[in-house]
Amino acid sequence: MNHKTTILLIEDERNISQFITTSLESEHYRVVTAATGEEGLSLAASICPDVILLDLGLPDIDGTEVITQVRAWTLAPIIVLSARSKEEDKVSALDLGADDYLTKPFGTSELMARIRTTLRHTNNQSGRECFNTGGLCIDYEKHAVTVDGEEVHLTQIEFKLLCLLSRNSGKVLTYSYIMENIWGPYMDSNNQILRVNMANIRRKIEKNPAQPRYIFTEIGVGYRMLDEELPDSTKSST
Amino acid sequence: MSVLTNEKYSLPKEHSTLGNIAIAFAYFLTATALATLIFHLVPDNKGNVYIIYLFAMILISKYTNGYVYGIVSSVIAVFCINYIFTYPYFAFNFTLDGYPLTYTVMLSTTLIISTMTSHLTEQGLIIKKHESQLREAALEKMRANLLRAVSHDLRTPLTGIIGNSASYLENGSRLSAVDKDELVRSIYSDANWLLNMVENLLTVTRIQVDSLQISTSLESVEEVVSESLMRLNKRHPKAEIHARVPDEVLFIPMDAILIEQVIINLIENAIVHSGSDSPIELTVTNLPLEVSFSIKDYGRGISPERLLTLFDNSAINIDDSPDCRKGMGIGLSICKTIITAHHGKIYGENHAEGAVFTFHLPKEIK
Repeated sequence: MNHKTTILLIEDERNISQFITTSLESEHYRVVTAATGEEGLSLAASICPDVILLDLGLPDIDGTEVITQVRAWTLAPIIVLSARSKEEDKVSALDLGADDYLTKPFGTSELMARIRTTLRHTNNQSGRECFNTGGLCIDYEKHAVTVDGEEVHLTQIEFKLLCLLSRNSGKVLTYSYIMENIWGPYMDSNNQILRVNMANIRRKIEKNPAQPRYIFTEIGVGYRMLDEELPDSTKSST
Repeated sequence: MSVLTNEKYSLPKEHSTLGNIAIAFAYFLTATALATLIFHLVPDNKGNVYIIYLFAMILISKYTNGYVYGIVSSVIAVFCINYIFTYPYFAFNFTLDGYPLTYTVMLSTTLIISTMTSHLTEQGLIIKKHESQLREAALEKMRANLLRAVSHDLRTPLTGIIGNSASYLENGSRLSAVDKDELVRSIYSDANWLLNMVENLLTVTRIQVDSLQISTSLESVEEVVSESLMRLNKRHPKAEIHARVPDEVLFIPMDAILIEQVIINLIENAIVHSGSDSPIELTVTNLPLEVSFSIKDYGRGISPERLLTLFDNSAINIDDSPDCRKGMGIGLSICKTIITAHHGKIYGENHAEGAVFTFHLPKEIK
């Protein structure tokens, strides 16, 4: 890295913002903090951060409003930090354009992993030929999937699902995002068909559907695929 | 349970006076129209007319509140029959043979029916009131138990956090690095335990306080199981858990967040209390009407006296073991509340080499 990655942290709780700043700085990120939504918005416009960490419960404006306003002019990744455990809030934040979320309280290692994932996805948009993680290989060109070297036969839809998840590996994808990408915008909102397809995929690629290795469920929100293994990535254990 | 029983009694709704009059009027008009029709089709048999009116009177008594409407309409009916359906038509004549008898029979029948239905209604109301009192008492008890358990269970880790951080602040300069580490580590573990407890309490707020009702949706069993295991793995990375789910994809109605909490509580219980590092087994079985989840550990099992009050908060104070603060108290009673709200059942027992907790969820919630 020839320049320091800048992270804008919008968080009103001093204690929390302090601990996040400390841990981010120790990982050599440049951190700029804002305690209110308004301050965050103006800082976002002036410093053009590489990643925005956003608390949803701000004193002046609602966090979702910040997402909408930021998304109006930049694609800089937004990771939502939320104490809310309601799935609807996470889903609406993601659907408004947030890239990922972390539910408070979270560990430092978890935060670092999410930041790395989002940064990688923004820097690496080029079409790659294959995906590789923990024994699962997806060859996009040949439409071939193997698990620990053994070929897996997937239906058209299942393959499309797997591709979509793998191209966004490490990131949560909401039900509605997946539905729209696979079945198109006119599909009804019932996601049963998606969950049945996911169950079938699980039976084909996972050894034990109850303890999956590759695709994780975030109930009420969506699915997240195990992050890709890249040769140069320094993955810390979580 | 109370939610279900309420629906069995279809009590007449409380109507306003105007509403009652409207109901009576509607039945009355319908009866008159029907009677007129039948009177024209079968002019010889006047009995039909009486029967139709009588039927209307019964319906009026049933669907209005109190006796008055039934009786008044029955008086009107008597006049109406006399006016429209007896010779001379469209004129009153009460001197017809046997008319006083018709009049009396019709009036007294209506009177008896009205009295009977309003009695029934009253009794229904009493039963309903009684039931809601019982339900309130049960809820009150649950709330009180929970509060007691919470204050008991929260005080200990808070004391630890306050004590340890105070001693760090006061004696910071004199402590060795190892001692400081030890203090902070213990604050960390207490705080984590508190978080777990708060999560449990938060889930309870998802249950409608007034009716123990929950909002369920069809959820994939394996997804709920796998997410619970993932969350558990964060807290207990060393614990070994073997999970087995049926081959068929099962969707059953539940509040997934709540059921996850139950699975987590039960497995965490096994990790903390079994006193053994043997793998814990989670088995999901597809039964004809239900799906059962059982969590089996290979540890010291549950003591016989504890078995009796397993899901009851009263048990926490009996437990004098040193790890008492990690008592099963709140966790299990929350499990019980959650499973009850799902119309399922939960029980704990010993097997040859340890303890096993099982809960069943119905495949359909009526």
